[in-house]
Amino acid sequence: MVPVRGKRKRFETRIKILWVAIVCSFLILLARMAWLQLIEGERYLRISKNSRLQLLPLPCTRGLILDRNGEKLTQNEASFSVGVIPSNVSNPDHLLDHLAKILKLDKKAILERIGRASNPFKPVVLKKNVGMSTVTFLLEREEEFPGVVIIAQPVRTYPYGRLASHLLGHLGEVSRAELSRSSGYGIELGDLVGKMGVEKTSNRYLQGEKGGKQVEVDAHGRALRTISEKDPFPGYNVYLTIDLRMQEIAEKELGERKGVVLIGDPYTGEILTLVSHPGFDPNLFSWGISESEWNRLRDEPLHPLENRAIRGEYPLASTIKVITASAALEEGIISKEDTFFCGGSLVVGNRVFKGWKEEGHGRINLEEALIHSCDVYFYQLGLRLGVKRIIRYARLFGLGKPTGIDLESEKPGFLPTRDWKKKHKGEAWYGGDTVNLSIGQGYILVTPVQMLKVISVIANGGYLIRPYLIKKIISPRGDLIKEFQPQKMERVPLSSATLNFLRRCLREVVREGTGWRAKNKTVEISGKTGTAEVSEEKNPHSWFIGYAPSTDPRLAIVVLVENREEDIQIGAQITKKIFSQIFEKNVH
Amino acid sequence: MYTDSRPYDWLLLLVVLGLSLGGLFHLYTISFVHQSYYFFRQIAWVGIGLGLLFLFSYLRISLWEKVAYLFYLAIFITLLLVLFRGEGAHGAQRWLRLGTFSFQPSEFAKLSLIIVLAKLLAAKDNIGWRQIGLSFCFTFPFLILVALQPDLGSALILLPLWLGMLFLAGVSPRKLLTILGIGASSFPFFYLFLRPYQKMRILTFLNPGRDPLGTGWAVLQSKVALGSGKLVGKGIGGALHTQLSFLPQPFTDFVFASIGEEWGFIGTGIFLGLYFVIITRGMKIARQSTNGFTRLVSGGLIILLFFQVSITVGMTTGIMPVTGMPLPLVSYGGSSIIMFFLGMGLLLSMKRFGE
Repeated sequence: MVPVRGKRKRFETRIKILWVAIVCSFLILLARMAWLQLIEGERYLRISKNSRLQLLPLPCTRGLILDRNGEKLTQNEASFSVGVIPSNVSNPDHLLDHLAKILKLDKKAILERIGRASNPFKPVVLKKNVGMSTVTFLLEREEEFPGVVIIAQPVRTYPYGRLASHLLGHLGEVSRAELSRSSGYGIELGDLVGKMGVEKTSNRYLQGEKGGKQVEVDAHGRALRTISEKDPFPGYNVYLTIDLRMQEIAEKELGERKGVVLIGDPYTGEILTLVSHPGFDPNLFSWGISESEWNRLRDEPLHPLENRAIRGEYPLASTIKVITASAALEEGIISKEDTFFCGGSLVVGNRVFKGWKEEGHGRINLEEALIHSCDVYFYQLGLRLGVKRIIRYARLFGLGKPTGIDLESEKPGFLPTRDWKKKHKGEAWYGGDTVNLSIGQGYILVTPVQMLKVISVIANGGYLIRPYLIKKIISPRGDLIKEFQPQKMERVPLSSATLNFLRRCLREVVREGTGWRAKNKTVEISGKTGTAEVSEEKNPHSWFIGYAPSTDPRLAIVVLVENREEDIQIGAQITKKIFSQIFEKNVH
Repeated sequence: MYTDSRPYDWLLLLVVLGLSLGGLFHLYTISFVHQSYYFFRQIAWVGIGLGLLFLFSYLRISLWEKVAYLFYLAIFITLLLVLFRGEGAHGAQRWLRLGTFSFQPSEFAKLSLIIVLAKLLAAKDNIGWRQIGLSFCFTFPFLILVALQPDLGSALILLPLWLGMLFLAGVSPRKLLTILGIGASSFPFFYLFLRPYQKMRILTFLNPGRDPLGTGWAVLQSKVALGSGKLVGKGIGGALHTQLSFLPQPFTDFVFASIGEEWGFIGTGIFLGLYFVIITRGMKIARQSTNGFTRLVSGGLIILLFFQVSITVGMTTGIMPVTGMPLPLVSYGGSSIIMFFLGMGLLLSMKRFGE
């Protein structure tokens, strides 16, 4: 029994030690209570009796978004809000009657807002973006209206309006879901956060940290002293890969047409220009968009809020011929010298498939078929390749899945297969489906940014870029917080013979083929045209994917004009105008 | 062995009654018309608690040794349920609904842990690393589950509870120091897993100026309320600072500040004194016990009570972080009240059966 008794004895010792620790702790607590209640008591009693306190939030400025050369794409402007601090209002009826008149608000609505306030010492904002005349009027009569505060707050503005609106995005009031996910401190309901584009994806860098202070005020609301204060911390600046001058040229040349212009560096994946038209004015959102304005934007048939460059899914039309040709050469289906006959149309099963040139191209080889975008040639080539191989190569070029660009909710496009058709359409895959697919029509869908990836493969010698548009994050003091580099790129398995052949063909497309409208004196452009049929009633979309200069590609471009109304090769024409200005002014 | 029971520890019973009725009375005095909701519900909780206290004081303590693991398992499951279908308040999920009442399993987790650790640590005469490891394996899941709710305060109190019980169970000082060393060096790792608002609270504790509109405000108001009570307090209905809702959560987390405002240093001193009496009586019971399990259960209960009182009082007076923890037997809240009444029932039963 010795160990048991020993254990009990040890317990005795330990419990005594514990007792001493507890006594000491309680003495400390007692001393602290005595300090607060007996020695400091008088001071605290005074504070509790006399003082009026204000809790003033100190807003932080949002980080800027700048282009690659440091041009400001966003700004912060001062604006004033009028609020009341409920605890400091001495004569609510009188005050609210006056305020309702001055601010043109409904008194009932004001009362309701104040009633919902969580802390009577924090200002309740009654009206945002109040005009300067009202502000001075209220400030001059400060003593008449105790409890009224004017809060200066930065407002996000976009000096270029609609320019690059999809890319920059806009702000909006934080939602409850975002609030629970947010890692930032001090974001409360009613605060503005990025809702789209870079404003959203880089919100955690841009947001900054709010500050605040506790101020003791007298009966007239004049500040007596600051009890405690935390400085606000401004957000980080985000530098984009975008080049403002290029963006402006592209916006101007696309004009009022519905469509997309994307320009990228074919080696790194940096996006230099992203235009999606129609756009919207993000300034509307910063100043508080009304519900009717929001509904109008949302329900507009042209969908100005959609970023077509990453969310528009279209048939890629003849631009697929670059992929079909690569597949045929790599798989050894044909040699460069093999020819097919084009008589203007081809009968498959019991259907007649027409080419775009009624009288036909005659007997031609692959190079001529690409240059003149001969459909009938590619019908026959496609039938030889079969759907499986065409889709496999489309996938190798990066189609059918998001490119991973640093913007939210990018669409993946769509690649059809035999199995898919069986399952979803309940039909077998017919020869006619392959014929359609071989000229990029039918079920296949791509996004413009995917096509930038496709054309960059040809321009850079076989590498799959990941398009990106955030270059670096810089702190307000100028420290580099984060820099984004091009990622290690996968290679598309194409031989250099195939690549060289394709590059020669794409040069000829502009020199003497369907892309002739891109021809100009400033810079030699290579590329491929496409005309996407969408429906009987609507005009087809016009594509141009290309790069320049032909021999030493520095820029890759994708132009898409939805339901083009002018020349069938408007895409090539816009490319010419954009590239000739860029290379003339040596913008890049 | 002892078929006839010895008398109650009347002093302990009296003090527990005094504390809870004092707390109830205090709640009544700061309940103005629209908030009497709290008062009436609290009456029900104290009533249920008292009933359970008497019931448990008649049950043999050895019963708890038998069901220790079962009890642990039951709490473990309810903690999991809270995470998946619990009800939220202030952005955390802590409650589980049972009929019309909802309860907070994290409160009962404390009691269950005390019992299971007592059983585990009393079984061996010399406690080696195996026992220590095993006891940690019981503590850690509760800690994580409660922290995920997220209720950092209730989770973190389990750690000193575990350490304290190891200490009382006779773990050698060298081993205890090793554990503390490991704990201190792994703290930065845990910091990574804290929610932003929990990091904020720690940072605000270190520097209250960081958050003048939030936590800093709460602490300032707590000190103003408590301090302005001075020696004798402002009396019934005089606690303006509390009543004008300067003081956040005057019924729960910051109840001690409102006691200070209304009843002054005399009031807060008496409350602290009553806790001290409970602790001393609990220690006496622990020392008189011949059974290792009962010794550790009573020791654990003392430690839990001690930590919760010091943390809430420390928080109210601005010398501890704001963690949101109820003041034992006084703060509004059914689960906490009932858990502490149960614990006191256990202490009384030990005394009665002398086990």
